[in-house]
Amino acid sequence: MKTDFKKIAKDGIISSNPTLKLVLGTCPTLALTTAAMNGIGMGLAVSFVLIFSNVIISLLRKAIPKEVRIPAFILIIATFVTIVRLALDYFLPDIYESMGLYLPLIVVNCIILARAESFASKNGVLASAADGLFMGIGFTLALTTMGAVREILGAGAIFGHKLWDFSIGFFSSSAGAFFTYAVFIAVFALITDKISEKSKLKKIKAEEKDFCGEIKENA
Amino acid sequence: MENNLIYSSSPHIKTTRTTRRIMIDVCIALLPATVMGVVYFGLYALALVALAVAFAVAGEYIYLLIMKKPFKEITREFDFSSVVSGMLIGLTIGTNYPVYAPIFGSLFAVIVVKMLFGGTGKNVVNPAIAGRVFMFISFQWAVGAWLLPAIGSVYGETVATSATAVVDVSKGTVPALSVIDMLLGTGMQGCIGETCKLALLAGGIYLAARKVINIIFPLIYIAVAGLTTTVIGGFVFAFFFPAILSGGLIIGAIFMATDYTTTPNTLCGNMIYFIALGILTAVLRYATNMETVSFAILLMNLTVPLIDKFILNKPFGYKKPQKQKEAK
Repeated sequence: MKTDFKKIAKDGIISSNPTLKLVLGTCPTLALTTAAMNGIGMGLAVSFVLIFSNVIISLLRKAIPKEVRIPAFILIIATFVTIVRLALDYFLPDIYESMGLYLPLIVVNCIILARAESFASKNGVLASAADGLFMGIGFTLALTTMGAVREILGAGAIFGHKLWDFSIGFFSSSAGAFFTYAVFIAVFALITDKISEKSKLKKIKAEEKDFCGEIKENA
Repeated sequence: MENNLIYSSSPHIKTTRTTRRIMIDVCIALLPATVMGVVYFGLYALALVALAVAFAVAGEYIYLLIMKKPFKEITREFDFSSVVSGMLIGLTIGTNYPVYAPIFGSLFAVIVVKMLFGGTGKNVVNPAIAGRVFMFISFQWAVGAWLLPAIGSVYGETVATSATAVVDVSKGTVPALSVIDMLLGTGMQGCIGETCKLALLAGGIYLAARKVINIIFPLIYIAVAGLTTTVIGGFVFAFFFPAILSGGLIIGAIFMATDYTTTPNTLCGNMIYFIALGILTAVLRYATNMETVSFAILLMNLTVPLIDKFILNKPFGYKKPQKQKEAK
């Protein structure tokens, strides 16, 4: 069976983007997007855990009995979260500080468990690794853009650099987090709907052309 | 003879009491407070209120134009509720707020809180309250100290400029201002529209006379808030009038808490709503040392669907179904 990497990439980043389409992992999304840098840090940490847990679970998918698969998955995920925590604490203590409680909470992040359950436990190693990678990219992109918007509006800065002295404090509050998240989901749905509509129209037009061409040829 | 009979479906009763008429009445009732605000705080206050109204109306027009509604139709169906929201937003900020605060507040109130939920009558919380809280959260960094009105205290000594009377009461000290000063708003810090209580009360009486609001409910709210403060302060009755005459309690009770959309439908539900509002306001004031009327109203607005779900009107001629004895 050949794995369709193009489809996996499109699924992970656009058509089932974990944050904006599946609405998974909302807890870090809402809490950590006050700054763009936090978004990148959280996104990369989750991506790392996602890729490696997907690979391991995919390797062990025939060995793990169905009845105890959830505890087994959690155990594997927790191992990688611990690795990330210790590594970050040693190499990047600033980011470790700013993420605080949300780093150990990656263990119960819905995205990782959902991918393990619905993809890695049914597919091959390479496909699972690709799925983890692209889901992670989709998550990181969504978090970073949300963080950037909230940082610009709520603190008048981007990646920690002060832009101007004007800010709307609402956007750095938690109410602003929900508001920004909702607007992002709406805009993302609007864009993807428009694109899929266009591609559908294109397909119909192409079919029509073929059909008309056939008629002409027959005539 | 037959031609005199008109066959038509409901509604059968015609009246001139439209949403537009009611909203214009509320605007008229807010005018005295606006005038007094301008007298006390100068032309900058007028500019803030005018900006808030202009952008509230503009927000409604922009939203409806984006939704592809023809301009003429919007003007024909325009119901002045965004004018009311704009006026309240302008009146509930102080002159220490920057010029752009009412612009953002009005746009947020009208577009996000009202229009996105479906327009007048479908909003979950009062747009003016949400706009005020939005400005309070957003622009606190740009706000300096409260400004005193141009007219000083009429009776009694000059006031301590550090704190508003609300903070004084919640700290357990009786404010230095006399009750008459508080009623007139002279020598008292506060927002543009909330300082002159007499003008607000006049507006309230006008609304009650026009039967726009039921005056009982704001009175319940104000009385419960005052009594709760008295009880919290250890049954000292000297707290009663300062508590009800300071801050935004009166403007909130008369103009904001009585919004039709965000109050329960039944009499009993309304009683619960306004009593809870009074207690919540007083307790929150005591706990946070700041003005909490808008937050209390915002919180209670969210409980209205729950109140309406559990407290229902008895249908006409309804009898309680008698419990049938279970056949053993």
